[in-house]
Amino acid sequence: MTTLVDVPASAQTATRPSAPRRRRGQTWPFVLILLGPSAVLILVFIVLPAVYGLWLSLTNTQLTGFAARDPKFVGLDNYTYLLTSADFLNSLGQTGTFLLFSAIIGQTVLGMVAAILLSRPWIHGKGFFGAAVLMPMVVPEVVASLTWASVLATSPEGTLNRLLNIFGGEPTAWLQTAPMMAIILVNIWRGLAFAMIMFQAALEDVPAELIEAARVDGAKAVQVFRHVTLPLIRGPVFLYLLLTTISTVGVFGLVYFLTRGGPGGQTRIAAIYIYERALQFSQIGIGSAASIILLVIVLVLGAVYVRLAKVEV
Amino acid sequence: MTILRSRTAAPVLNPRRRRRLRPVDVAQRSVGYVLIVLLALFCLVPFAWVVLSAVDADAGATVQIPAFSFDNFIRFFTASGTPLLLINSLVIAISSTVLNLVLGIAGGYALSRFAFPGRRFFMFGILLIRVIPAPATIIALYLIMVNLGLANTLHGLIIVQAVSGLPVTLWLMKGTVDAVPVELEEAAWTDGNTRLQAVRRIVLPLIGPGLGAAAMLMFMGSWGDFLTPLVMLQNQDLYPLAIGLFRAFSERNVIDWGLLAASAVIYVLPPAVLYMLVRKHLLKSSLGGALKG
Repeated sequence: MTTLVDVPASAQTATRPSAPRRRRGQTWPFVLILLGPSAVLILVFIVLPAVYGLWLSLTNTQLTGFAARDPKFVGLDNYTYLLTSADFLNSLGQTGTFLLFSAIIGQTVLGMVAAILLSRPWIHGKGFFGAAVLMPMVVPEVVASLTWASVLATSPEGTLNRLLNIFGGEPTAWLQTAPMMAIILVNIWRGLAFAMIMFQAALEDVPAELIEAARVDGAKAVQVFRHVTLPLIRGPVFLYLLLTTISTVGVFGLVYFLTRGGPGGQTRIAAIYIYERALQFSQIGIGSAASIILLVIVLVLGAVYVRLAKVEV
Repeated sequence: MTILRSRTAAPVLNPRRRRRLRPVDVAQRSVGYVLIVLLALFCLVPFAWVVLSAVDADAGATVQIPAFSFDNFIRFFTASGTPLLLINSLVIAISSTVLNLVLGIAGGYALSRFAFPGRRFFMFGILLIRVIPAPATIIALYLIMVNLGLANTLHGLIIVQAVSGLPVTLWLMKGTVDAVPVELEEAAWTDGNTRLQAVRRIVLPLIGPGLGAAAMLMFMGSWGDFLTPLVMLQNQDLYPLAIGLFRAFSERNVIDWGLLAASAVIYVLPPAVLYMLVRKHLLKSSLGGALKG
């Protein structure tokens, strides 16, 4: 029914392809009907939790018990408690270790190695190697964890212990004696593919002439990479660091499945700390405050990356 | 330009190299191959265990030649409780994908076809949301769900998952609808279609690839999600596979590796099948020549 009225108006502007162009009077009803539900749902289930979390972090809300009925405003008490709590500071430290070694160093370096190797013309079987690296990323978190639970299994049967046995190593309970190393290894394994994909795309954009010119000038492969390639892919590298920082701070299932934060809280990264506090000890207020602190740290790190990506060459 | 130049440059350098690699090159390439093979092994060995143990009658935690049998799969489907996990997972993932796509198509169409104040703000706002790590908001979300009476229900979980994937779907669908020329829709209007009919007859058939990508992302996101169902669901009858597998691993004293491996294989199959189905769709570009002539 609107059709007849619309046609002349839109026909006049028909030279701009696909540009939004409805008369204002008719826009809002359409937008409200089409986009309204999405906007409301995003508001309720994504934005509201963030705001509500901020409020909860200022109260002594409990999941069960006395304070569950009648939560009180406690100001910054939860924050002062957390920032003086050895448990929480340890947890932040573990998150930092996990982030630094698994994402910022492990995934980035190995992902770069994989991307560079797969961009060499003389490597055969690129499809196979690429698919192999991709596998860990596409399987569900729980399956990824399960496979590593078997590899790292305590019994002398675990795959890693069997492998080490060939070289004369003693069977070790990896998840007990070196839990942090184990979850770092697993997270490198899982995130490697994403790094590789990002860096492959970035490397493709580096003009071959520049590499060739540096080569002709007598630069070694390492020098070419350090002084020509790396500065040119700086942007994508920092973008990757930003993305992997966000996702690594959000890692929960992988670690919870393998260690449940143990043994003795050695792998209680922030996500697990929050979960335990809020839902196992039912201290919603403290859990929320921890969430907000974590969020602030992520935002600060994000801002740092964005700055680093822009400044300098 | 660049292609031409590198082509003319290549023959000058290559003949010397082709005939005889310098020892340095040989060494470099060997190291390269060793590295890539090691990386591939690192990535694949854990999976070798799943595949081999799933069909191994006496599976353990180790990679070994299986005593071949489908016993583990049979136990998965005959045990009480486990088939329900698969059904729950399917219900959750399919429903949340459908809900997500319906909202995403409508919203993406509005974002693409209408210029309204606040559109850019909305687009970048929902993009920024992605910065928030899921564990940071899960508690408040859980309390909201409790207050809405949606905690510990499948439909509650479905809504939460569908909405959490919505920012990505909206961006994807906006881009996809942008690629469909408005002229095609206008032509349909002049032929007497209403706006809705035009969307159904013209736009929907043309956004297949984008839709497939969005569906794939959403389905895999919901299918693999562990944290949300862990927090939202307490009733054992509602557990999806992710939680079922976790409980089976962590709450038994004697771990049944064979059954776990078989469950893992079953768990991985639906997204893989979906990918095969959608893949053809993803590659097909159906818009060629729509505006010619």
